[in-house]
Amino acid sequence: MSEELVFMMGQFAARFPVDRRYAKNHMWAKPAAEGDRFRFGFAAYAVRLLQDVYFLEWSVDAPAPLREKQAIGAIESSKAESELYAPMSGRLVEFNENLLSDPSGINVDPYGEGWLFAMEGPGEGLLSPEDYLVHLAASWAIAERTIKGQINESE
Amino acid sequence: MAKKLTVVISQGQSANPIKRKLEEDLVGALLFERGLEVTVIPHLYDLAPDGTGMLCLQSIAGDMVVLSWLFPRAAHWTLDRNGIRGRVGKILLESASEEDEDDEDEAAEDEDKPRVADSLPPPNRTIYCLDLRARNEVEPFVAEIRRIVAEASVQTVGIDLMGWIQGSPKPEQLDRYLHPAETNVASPFFEPPADVGPSPATDASPAEETGDESPTNGAPLPAAPLRIDEAPNRRWYPVIDYSRCTNCLECLDFCLFGVYGVGGSETILVEQPDNCRKGCPACSRVCPENAIIFPQHKTPAIAGSPDGNAGALKIDLSKLFGAPDALEVAVLERDVELVAVGRDAVGASVGIPKRQPEKHRGPKDELDSLMDQLDSLDL
Repeated sequence: MSEELVFMMGQFAARFPVDRRYAKNHMWAKPAAEGDRFRFGFAAYAVRLLQDVYFLEWSVDAPAPLREKQAIGAIESSKAESELYAPMSGRLVEFNENLLSDPSGINVDPYGEGWLFAMEGPGEGLLSPEDYLVHLAASWAIAERTIKGQINESE
Repeated sequence: MAKKLTVVISQGQSANPIKRKLEEDLVGALLFERGLEVTVIPHLYDLAPDGTGMLCLQSIAGDMVVLSWLFPRAAHWTLDRNGIRGRVGKILLESASEEDEDDEDEAAEDEDKPRVADSLPPPNRTIYCLDLRARNEVEPFVAEIRRIVAEASVQTVGIDLMGWIQGSPKPEQLDRYLHPAETNVASPFFEPPADVGPSPATDASPAEETGDESPTNGAPLPAAPLRIDEAPNRRWYPVIDYSRCTNCLECLDFCLFGVYGVGGSETILVEQPDNCRKGCPACSRVCPENAIIFPQHKTPAIAGSPDGNAGALKIDLSKLFGAPDALEVAVLERDVELVAVGRDAVGASVGIPKRQPEKHRGPKDELDSLMDQLDSLDL
């Protein structure tokens, strides 16, 4: 499990374990031992952008059929507020209920106890860790511009 | 009459330290105010109907102030649904952003349709609901609560006197006059907290009845707030604003999940709130009076913002860009939920409102004409 890839977000080294796949919306997807079930959580990249998570809310009840990019909830953190979207099409089977009363699990153990939800589906759009890093490199420049743009606007 | 006013602080769902600090700073500040009891509860909307928090609220007699991270209408009617009824207390503290607009929402009130609230017996107390999002600092809230304390004491006397003059004091009114200090003690929730000890200066001892600020016992003793430690699960259900509802029953026809029912007096009610589909606000969209509130929805008009058509001052151009109208959205949302539970989508074939009124208020202005011209273009 010690194997991981590293992406530098400025000075910050974001680490990505290679025992799982990744969705383009910066969630990891860990396949279950059998079946087409995945457990999803926020990748280090997302957690770094969010920082301390204060509030997590789901707008669907499990189980629920989901389309990729369907709005499923919202998150509030010390740095951001965002809607959350389904990382793939499939069937949402379970939310991590522990996070609703205490969402700080996302910060404490993002790749383990801080998992968000489980889904069933083919997962054909999910990326390998290597491909995800390529995606990150392309999107990091845009993310930097977005963040700086919003900071400048608010000043 | 130095009757105590209960101030309820409903905590937010978010662990945001700024929000938590405002809540706690308010508790701290209010403890030093005269004539107040402070109660802290978890998020009002999430409270279980038979849980400790709701039982505690139900046991509160007399006027109360409720501070929550909800629109005041949402808080008021959530309480009402749980049998905690009161007149809507007038709030003068406006949010910093709406101060420069003088938007009284009397436009909706002045139509002479009978509202369900008109047919109910008028409540004998007032509930003042304040939105904690209105300000970031403690002081404006404390100032508003002081104003309410003054207003409430005047009102209590006035209304009670009316009853006496008409020769019909209710037994509980009589009781309140004879045993002013014991009004709230009937409830097990109002035992004085052990760590403070029984304070001789609590409640309305005769010395305090004069109501002036002369410190007979030195500074007023702060009483510890009552804290309800219920850990409620997140909930999602509609709340009906009966001051708007006309009992047209469109929601009963539209919802196919059995949330709505009709009560003893043929009045619409949210009979099975937990049948409601999480995130679905479709019935609110079909309500012709905008009387159905989903306090946790992101659209202010659905979450119970004071103004029925929130953002009415801005032109919403999304229709020009292909957004479906409210009814179309509601039909889609309902279909999604039906399919989610393995039922068939019904589209617009079931329970579609028959009486969507044309909403036109006042004569057309230039903007209306412009919009009409846009409408007539085939975009």
